[in-house]
Amino acid sequence: MLEIRNLHATVEGREILNGIDLTVRAGEVHAIMGPNGSGKSTLANVIAGREGYVVTEGEVLFDGKNLLEMEPEIRACEGLFLAFQYPVEIPGVANLYFLKAAVNAVRKYRGESPVDAMDFWDLVHERMELVKMDESMLKRSVNEGFSGGEKKRNEIFQMAVLQPRFAVLDETDSGLDIDALRVVADGVNALRGPERGFLVITHYQRLLDYIVPDHVHVLVNGRIARSGGKELALELEEQGYALYNEEPGRARRAAA
Amino acid sequence: MTAAAPVLSDRHRPAFDAFMANRREPDKLSRLRREAFERFEALGWPTRQQEAWRFTDLSALQSLALQRAADAPVEAAALPTLDTAIHRLVFINGRFAPGLSKLTELPERTVIASLGQVLAADPQAVQNQLDQLPGLAQHPFAALNGAFWEDGAFIYLLPGAVLDHPIHIIFHATGGDTAVYPRLLVMLDDGARANIVVEYRGQGRYLQAPVVELSVDDGAVLEYHQLQEEAPQAFHLGGIKLQQGRDSQTQLHLMSFGGQLARTDLEVLLDGEHASCMLNGLTVGRDNQASNFYVRVDHAHPHGSSQQLFKSVLDDKARSVFDGIIHVRPHAQKTDARQNSRNLLLSKQALAQSNPRLEILADDVKCGHGSSTGFLDPNAEFYLRARGIPAAQARAMLVYAFANDSLNAIQLNPLRERLARLLAGRLALDSTEEDLTS
Repeated sequence: MLEIRNLHATVEGREILNGIDLTVRAGEVHAIMGPNGSGKSTLANVIAGREGYVVTEGEVLFDGKNLLEMEPEIRACEGLFLAFQYPVEIPGVANLYFLKAAVNAVRKYRGESPVDAMDFWDLVHERMELVKMDESMLKRSVNEGFSGGEKKRNEIFQMAVLQPRFAVLDETDSGLDIDALRVVADGVNALRGPERGFLVITHYQRLLDYIVPDHVHVLVNGRIARSGGKELALELEEQGYALYNEEPGRARRAAA
Repeated sequence: MTAAAPVLSDRHRPAFDAFMANRREPDKLSRLRREAFERFEALGWPTRQQEAWRFTDLSALQSLALQRAADAPVEAAALPTLDTAIHRLVFINGRFAPGLSKLTELPERTVIASLGQVLAADPQAVQNQLDQLPGLAQHPFAALNGAFWEDGAFIYLLPGAVLDHPIHIIFHATGGDTAVYPRLLVMLDDGARANIVVEYRGQGRYLQAPVVELSVDDGAVLEYHQLQEEAPQAFHLGGIKLQQGRDSQTQLHLMSFGGQLARTDLEVLLDGEHASCMLNGLTVGRDNQASNFYVRVDHAHPHGSSQQLFKSVLDDKARSVFDGIIHVRPHAQKTDARQNSRNLLLSKQALAQSNPRLEILADDVKCGHGSSTGFLDPNAEFYLRARGIPAAQARAMLVYAFANDSLNAIQLNPLRERLARLLAGRLALDSTEEDLTS
């Protein structure tokens, strides 16, 4: 489903990703762990197509198509979703309108007619319950004045409504208390299925107690240093990243 | 220095003499016109060496030889309507068009008429009320209006009179290098309430230079909406004087969409304790449009409140100026005055200028001002695109959101909805206000 081959990327001229190879098949959940500054968020942003992240070598294929040639909105319409590490506040744009615009953009791309108002309302309500979101949040401006937990829940809510085929969760667990973490995990688990792939990026093992991955990769210095099963996450929890003997924070410093 | 002064006497004095030769009106009005014209001659054509006109480029206007506009037929269908307005006054080229107006079912204790109608019925009323408010003394175009006005709207509410429906006033110009000087006189006596929508519009090239006098007495409440949607080649140079009595409340919504050059000078005098006014300005500009707001709020008594928010959205080479003064007199204690200007630039060639100023002579007041100018937030744009929304639509949504704030402050639903459609149309945005807020 998602194939990353020898991916190199720079941010502001500094090389952050150093040759990543990774294949996620439909139905699989992969976790990417790693110390701060190892390039985890850079990988997420490269996949989503954010400006300023320059791929210098390698390729990313999404169902065999060259993902890197697509505009961010085309990637989304093709079924890719990024749950942002820092969801953006958009004053004046109501959450519900934003979601409807997104759903209709994807439908238009597929050659479908705009969503029926009642169907959309039903879908929204069903998904809201999944992430235990209050209806009042629909009328509020996107993420404006939301707490950290509300913002992350809103990301999962959007994912649940848009039903992408492949989702990248960029440190969705950071800053969440245990209840919010559970809500986020429930949302992801409800969407798991044979047609869908996930890339869960996290610094801590904690999230992986709730979203149990099929594969775990350790990203160090812009390269996958080790891959394994879910037990690898536990091992990292015990031993930390010191084993990988890296100067930490390289990407973070470059970005700063 | 431009050689402005000689042009004036050459061009305007004979025009004024010719204009006066044909007028039949009470001596007092003729005297007011002469005084106004002499004031204009003394002030002269504004130059950019004058502080108040430094950022207003009048050269394109100055190069035109504008004529008095002749009568011209206008189809009713060409004019906008407002669902809930049952009182409607239409002026074509500054002159009352009874066939396009609707003045039936007038409520009691209320006069809604053209100045011409009132002059015919009760000349004293016009003489006693016109040009009574202070302000705009240094404004050359207000002086020209004082000399050359032909007609206008006259709205007078006796004490306690309350209008349930808005009054819709349209000043439409038919162009052909003409100058039009509309008038609007609104007097709300103690405790009266009114809701007024004024639209400026037209075709071709012309100048509309209106003067608006709003007198809001003790405890009266006025909601005033002004939609400047002049033709793309037109000039709009308007003045508004607002005087408020004790416990009065006003809201002024000033929407600027049209014209190649538009400027509104607004002078507010809070002339009684606990008077409050809210000023909500929005400029939407593109191409080479220039739009200016010059605002002066004078707090003359204690416990006054004034809230100003002026926004602009500028594309292409459009320019906007917001120049605002809050003046608090020494004994106007407990004044609460705020002023904010926010500008969104959609192009690198667009320019927004903000000159907020405070002149505070009292010591126990809450006054503040702020100003911000910036481009669209690239993070917000990426966020929308990452959800599948095309780049152009994402930008339009963000611009709409920025401006929609100003529209949301308008309580008059049919007008707000029309403005929302106007704005969405400008942004080629395939959505309406209901979509964005429901």
